[in-house]
Amino acid sequence: VSRGAEDAGRLVVDPAACTAVGMCMHVAAGVVGSDGWGFPVVPAEDLSGDAARRARRAAAACPRHALRVVPPRS
Amino acid sequence: VTAAPTTDRAGGRPWGALLPEPVELPLAEIGRPRRAQTLEEHLATYGPRPLHGGRDSDVVIDRLAAAGLTGRGGGHFPAARKWQAVRDTTAATGRLPLVVGNAAEGEPAIAKDAALLSLRPHLVLDGLAVAAETLDATECVLWLHDDAGPLWRRVENALDERADAGLVERPVRLVAAPARYLSGEATAVVRALSGGPALPELRDLPAAFDGVHGRPTLVQNTETLARVAVLARSAHRPGPSTSLVTVVADGRRVVAEVPDTSTVATALEATGALGAVPAAILLGGYGGQWLPWSTAHRLPIGPAALRAAGHSLGAGLLAVLPAGACGVAETAALVRYLAASGARQCGPCLFGLDALAATTTDLARGAGGRTATRRLTAWAAEIAGRGACNHPDGVIRMLRSALVTFADDVAAHAAGRPCAAAGRPPLLPTGDGAS
Repeated sequence: VSRGAEDAGRLVVDPAACTAVGMCMHVAAGVVGSDGWGFPVVPAEDLSGDAARRARRAAAACPRHALRVVPPRS
Repeated sequence: VTAAPTTDRAGGRPWGALLPEPVELPLAEIGRPRRAQTLEEHLATYGPRPLHGGRDSDVVIDRLAAAGLTGRGGGHFPAARKWQAVRDTTAATGRLPLVVGNAAEGEPAIAKDAALLSLRPHLVLDGLAVAAETLDATECVLWLHDDAGPLWRRVENALDERADAGLVERPVRLVAAPARYLSGEATAVVRALSGGPALPELRDLPAAFDGVHGRPTLVQNTETLARVAVLARSAHRPGPSTSLVTVVADGRRVVAEVPDTSTVATALEATGALGAVPAAILLGGYGGQWLPWSTAHRLPIGPAALRAAGHSLGAGLLAVLPAGACGVAETAALVRYLAASGARQCGPCLFGLDALAATTTDLARGAGGRTATRRLTAWAAEIAGRGACNHPDGVIRMLRSALVTFADDVAAHAAGRPCAAAGRPPLLPTGDGAS
């Protein structure tokens, strides 16, 4: 198993915990987007490599603990 | 095996019918429909309830699977799979399972669960008892809106009757649900019974795997439980395949049991609701679909056939939009109600539904401008799938179906031409939960 596969994961937002602080969009620009109200929009698909690393940084940066990286679907 | 009558004495309907005849329940309030069936009448109608548990558990679950029973709260998840998941999780974890009857019927237009609980409470209690024995749960909960006074009394009376008759059953605890639209959402039920607020939440696993206080929990709708009560008795007599529908037409509301072979048109005829040719039907619930009458009238009612046709019976609403009414204005009223009925927890739903409500309302008034439809479509795509529960997704489903079904009106209103009907009060109730 390559290191990339170990790192792979899917970014999940708990929308009830999220208050649109926006840290995730700063530390994971390009992975986490914003909707018109400033709430994060995350990719539905599995992430790997650099995108997965940034997703983990976004999860760690959230002051509301509203983001998690869960095991990939595939 | 005790001989049981083959027809329902009350109405001469085939054995196993849930409701003897269509029942009218005023839209403003449920009121007090005719008296409840007594335990004695119930047993005379349906026959004695077989006991389950132990090795018999497989028999019940197999029968639910063979009948294709799906959850009638709106999601239509296969009941047998839920029951099996509770059993498997109980075996794997050793945690005590719990059975929850969900009677918190949130849709203001729908009253099928209220009709069942007020007319045939023993069917629902039988369903709870069968579930508890099959899954070896030591207790059951019945989750019922705190403002549903008449229903509480009928259920309490029915429980007293069963105790007086010496029925040995797992205890049923009546628990008050806040009288809000989302109180009956499955994760809200689990969260409330675990000591939290009765609001939906994001959960990794369904309640069958990880429910109330982490226990494997069966949450099953009132009608589903009544159907379990019939199926549990049906070893030698398969009951009729039917569905309960709530028909709202011309200011009246009628709950009726219709064969799954019915079409939307014959179901409306059976409730006396089919007068002039309607313009459209709202199918399933407020989070369902608007369909033009030309499409809707010949659709099958049975949940499986309807699903195969790309639609859902949802919680069984059939609401008639008469010719001459404004579907866009009606949709705007529903979106406003649904936006106000959210749990106000999730940003995309809170802000997104408010934006959809305001723009749909402007559109109906002819004040939305030419970009209104484009904005609605873009917001809908942006919000979809981003709530902790499916509430926003239902609103979007209904709104998208309206933009298609009422496309001509939408175009006229977007061009600044409101219709004469846009100022009329809405046909469908958008009652208390909207405050």
